[in-house]
Amino acid sequence: MLVEQILNGIVLGSLYALIAQGYTLVFGVLDKLNFAHGEVFMLGGYIAVASAALGLPLPLALVLAMAVCAVVGILVELVSFRKFHSHDAHITAALSSFAVGLVMIDLVQKGWGTEPIAIAVPEGLNLVNLEVLGVRFSAVKLAILIVATSLMLGLHLTIARTALGRAVRAVSESPSAASLYGINVVRTIQIVFGLASAMAGIAGAALALRTGFASPDIGFTLGLKALAIMAIGGMGDLRGAFLGGLLIGVFEALAFHWGLGQIADTGVWLIMIAVLLLRPRGLFATVASREVRA
Amino acid sequence: MIQDYIVLTGINVLLAWSVYVVLLSGSLSFANAGFMAIGAYLSSVLTVRFGFPLIAAACTAGLVAFAFGVTVAFPALRTRGLYLILVTVGIAASVKVVIESIPYVGGIQGFSGMSGTTPWHVGVLVLVVGAGLWLLSRSSLQLVLDAVREDELVAGSLGVNVMHVKLVCFGAGAFLAAVAGSFYAHHMLFIRPEDFGIVASVFIVLYVVLGGVNNLWGPLTGAVIMTLAPEAIRGLAQWRPTVFGLLIIVLLLVRPDGLLAFRVPTAAARGSRAAKS
Repeated sequence: MLVEQILNGIVLGSLYALIAQGYTLVFGVLDKLNFAHGEVFMLGGYIAVASAALGLPLPLALVLAMAVCAVVGILVELVSFRKFHSHDAHITAALSSFAVGLVMIDLVQKGWGTEPIAIAVPEGLNLVNLEVLGVRFSAVKLAILIVATSLMLGLHLTIARTALGRAVRAVSESPSAASLYGINVVRTIQIVFGLASAMAGIAGAALALRTGFASPDIGFTLGLKALAIMAIGGMGDLRGAFLGGLLIGVFEALAFHWGLGQIADTGVWLIMIAVLLLRPRGLFATVASREVRA
Repeated sequence: MIQDYIVLTGINVLLAWSVYVVLLSGSLSFANAGFMAIGAYLSSVLTVRFGFPLIAAACTAGLVAFAFGVTVAFPALRTRGLYLILVTVGIAASVKVVIESIPYVGGIQGFSGMSGTTPWHVGVLVLVVGAGLWLLSRSSLQLVLDAVREDELVAGSLGVNVMHVKLVCFGAGAFLAAVAGSFYAHHMLFIRPEDFGIVASVFIVLYVVLGGVNNLWGPLTGAVIMTLAPEAIRGLAQWRPTVFGLLIIVLLLVRPDGLLAFRVPTAAARGSRAAKS
């Protein structure tokens, strides 16, 4: 039982990590908080609902969720971040993106109602079970784990190894210096928003498929929790967001297992506050990464 | 109906000022809905369960929130900027979850049984707090606050105890938010932890940012417009949150400094700001 709970925690944690890495990407490049990110994640779930209602095959639904959310993310950048460039404007940008989030919630509620809506999960999806060493593990969970991990690995390699990744890192160091070296700063920022939002979109779709529901207020609950996880992992630290997501996922699963569900919800925030006070560079910051960020 | 508007507008003005007071020392607090929740619940318990009169309950709740605010602010104010925003979001989220898990105040179901807020309470309170803030802006204390906000190092080197100033401002914001929360609870007659979530905190900050952060009239204007504007566009009642959100986005794009930003930054101020970033 306990092992099963821990596995559930890791699956949920990998979704947290996916969303948290989106916050991290934007924060790493722009030093700004994107409060609309949680709502993009919420939208991903509704795109899964819509595709399932249209009878689209599952992989297509996931791709569609990523594509639509990427476009929405780029629009968020245009509306809430493009104009607020100066260092003092980070609060304005955060509030503006929050307003975008409010509009998105309202539009989704106009389309699908204010209550959580059930998704027509493709026949038998949750029935396929694997059994490893006596632990049951549904195929959906395994698929989520594989998709999430490979996406995050891909993102890590893109940032660390490719020309695009170099451009992103250059812009995060200094936009003006990057543009002097011929990097299209606006385009790079757009790509960052697109990538971050695509990951939130697929996380939202995956969560809807896993739980069988899409809910309009999930951006405020799960989405904000991912924001806390970003801070726990270290602002702007992708690996930290990954580890932080898994840690919080397992922590919550264990808390629920021992009947401390309420504590789990505050626990995330209290851990975040403790981390920000005691290790502001994140729980997993090593000496090396400290130097890189400094 | 009219009384409803007066009370709600007044409460929102008080809440906006509660954020403004914290902002005077240079910190942006998203925790004020949490302090509002503490005030609302504590005063309601005092009036309903212990028979306190409303004003005494509101004052007690305010003082408790002040103590709580200073206690949490002491570690929290070691962080700055976006980190402080995250910490205050965390405080608000934690307060909400803790209240949800206390069966004595109804948990997730909410708490009811209180009443008694009149427009007079709120009106007088707004006048008193407004007069206090106006006197503050005329006093030499305002210079101390300006110094702390603009440059903590300089203020510290001139003998200002920066931490004390920031703590008192944070606590004063908590006090104001809790008092406003007390009257809110006794006006709404029924409160739920949900009413005091992050959304509430962000709306309070939006009042201040939309109105402008340079003087006490900004938060006042922002709160009045944001409270009454939804009534003015009632014809679009179906689309209220969307229109509202779009309004905020457009206003922030057109006037990033807020509606009432009188004090145009001088060239010197701009220079020092550029040097900082």
